[in-house]
Amino acid sequence: MRYKDKYRFIRQNIKKNRARTFMTILATAMGCAFLIVLASVGYGLQQSVVKETLEDQVVTQIQVHAKEVDGNFEAITIEDIEKLEKVEHVKAVTRRNQLGQIPIYTLDNYKAETMAVSAHYPSEVASGLELSEGRLPENPNEVVVGYHFSDKLFIDSAENVYDEETNEVKEEFRFKGNVMDQTITMTVKQDEEGKVKEEIQLTIVGVLEKPGREWMIDQDVYISQEVFEQIETFTGSVGGVIAAEPDQMETGHLEIFDLVNVYADNLEAVQGIVETLKEENYATYSVVSEMEQINTLFTIAKAGLILVGTIALIIASIGIYNTMTMAVTERAPDIGIMKAIGANPKTIKQIFLLESSYIGIIGAVIGTIVAYATSVLVNIGLPMILEMAFGEEMPEGLQFSSIPLSLVLIAVTICLVVTILSGMRPAKRATQIDVLKAMRREI
Amino acid sequence: MIQIKELSHHFELGKKGQKTILPVLKGITMEVGKGEIVSVVGKSGSGKSTLLNLISGFIRPTEGEIRIDSELVSDLSEAKFADFRLEHIGFIFQSFQLIPSMTAYQNIELPLTLKGEDEKKRKEIVNRILEKVGLEDFQDHYPSELSGGQQQRVSIARALVLEPTLILADEPTGSLDSETEAEILEIIQKLNRELGITFLIITHDEEVAQIGNRTISIKDGRIMEGVTAV
Ligand SMILES: Nc1ncnc2c1ncn2[C@@H]1O[C@H](COP(=O)(O)OP(=O)(O)O)[C@@H](O)[C@H]1O
Ligand SMILES: [Mg+2]
Repeated sequence: MRYKDKYRFIRQNIKKNRARTFMTILATAMGCAFLIVLASVGYGLQQSVVKETLEDQVVTQIQVHAKEVDGNFEAITIEDIEKLEKVEHVKAVTRRNQLGQIPIYTLDNYKAETMAVSAHYPSEVASGLELSEGRLPENPNEVVVGYHFSDKLFIDSAENVYDEETNEVKEEFRFKGNVMDQTITMTVKQDEEGKVKEEIQLTIVGVLEKPGREWMIDQDVYISQEVFEQIETFTGSVGGVIAAEPDQMETGHLEIFDLVNVYADNLEAVQGIVETLKEENYATYSVVSEMEQINTLFTIAKAGLILVGTIALIIASIGIYNTMTMAVTERAPDIGIMKAIGANPKTIKQIFLLESSYIGIIGAVIGTIVAYATSVLVNIGLPMILEMAFGEEMPEGLQFSSIPLSLVLIAVTICLVVTILSGMRPAKRATQIDVLKAMRREI
Repeated sequence: MIQIKELSHHFELGKKGQKTILPVLKGITMEVGKGEIVSVVGKSGSGKSTLLNLISGFIRPTEGEIRIDSELVSDLSEAKFADFRLEHIGFIFQSFQLIPSMTAYQNIELPLTLKGEDEKKRKEIVNRILEKVGLEDFQDHYPSELSGGQQQRVSIARALVLEPTLILADEPTGSLDSETEAEILEIIQKLNRELGITFLIITHDEEVAQIGNRTISIKDGRIMEGVTAV
């Protein structure tokens, strides 16, 4: 028997029992929509969280905190750096050291207090560091400053320079000029009171690019390794911290780094590099690894939601079972006649399985449409309700519900499997109908 | 055409534990030749229908063999037997057995649809047969809108569409008045004459039995010896 003819059969059968079939399709559609909407919350929140996390950070970056040696964490040395640079797919290994004290910088009658950082420029450039103005330092007393450095400068003699609300330098005290090519004086202290001070002249030759996000602030001064070592020598301590009693450590050349970042040449390589570093006993952190953990969590959550949704579909399938059983009973005489004149049991079974699949498919299609509509409403409505209830702005772009194609495919597959399974027994019963009894109208 | 050897059948009655066995057919051996019309007669309850149902494969024999067209059908699986019926046997039932939700045309078309013929071929065949049984004007009528004679003609048409070599008929005129009965018997004879179709007709009516070239009489589950005509 041709599929076209089977389909015609089914249409005819369904027409005879429109209301019953409609209710069964409705139940299936509701089950399917429930499943999709429920799971879509998992998908939506995951998307929001992932987006939020990824937007804040450089995704190809792997922070290397320390190296584990015999259960102790040790700082990253230049040998480590050289080793890291040789790992496959590593584009650059940047290394920075933060000065252990916050120096004061003066520019004419302005001054600023902000962090000093030593950086290794070739690797920074390789990792993608860019300037908004000027050039990179070429000799030890040249520096580049963060994009927001000039905001930190204020008139030396002023009092109450900070705005109480925003914690920023008040407009009237701010430095209005351009810091490019200016010479600033950096003052470092040996002791807390500043009895012993050293002044170092630095020339600003470049300004770094504005950070990726509106709220990120970069006010640091990027000094050369030579200046950094000069300060260490002056304070007599590692990193130039102000120590109560300067230890007699050997200072003067940089061997260890506190901020080491490995950059992968592409996103896919990140996980592999992380694994390699882990094997080499480096303690690392990367957004991608973080992401993997978040994704694992969400995958579990989504599976749970889909499972709960499936229960709704199973309940709907009881309706299908019922409908199909009644259909088989009602049509028993017709089935008997068809078997008598030579319909193959397989054909009979297929007709009924097709009918339950038909209910499943229509239900799944309607359910999917309803789910999409519900999802849109939830995404518009829920933030509004929450804002009204709690008077708090929801983060922009927050998505509660998202329906990717994969979810639709999963739901439709589950829906079809459930409906076909529930149609199985009635279909089998149809093939077992006794020809003679059916023709005597005894069923 | 049909060879039956030592065919026996009994029914089991009652529930488990207190079953009684009702023997109906006891060692039937008979043959129906190609192109024959054979009538099977006997009193009500003598086992005529049971014999036909065994040949049709609606029930399976307790013992014995049935061959149709030299195929040992009594050994076929249910599905294979169904295919065999569709291909080789036409059926005419006492109560017509038309599907009430289908028009005359659709009922006649059914075997062709089951066989998987395309629509064009189906239409051609059905229209030809509708003409043959004189039902062109009634093709869109549902069985409930047709007289008994018309319904039986639809059922004959349905039995014919796949050009069977054998037609089994259980009391084909049992529900019809004598005038219509004559009409149907005439059609049967014509089909036998013109198309060479073999008929096995069951009846308790002697007049109907007359159309057969040969009559087999059943009594107490056995074929009555020496009786070839009633
Ligand atoms: N399905 C069945 N179960 C039990 N007994 C049956 C069944 N079918 C027929 N019989 C019995 O078998 C005997 C023969 O029946 P049947 O072949 O229908 O006779 P006929 O067609 O000659 O009138 C009857 O006694 C009838 O009651
Ligand atoms: Mg009978």
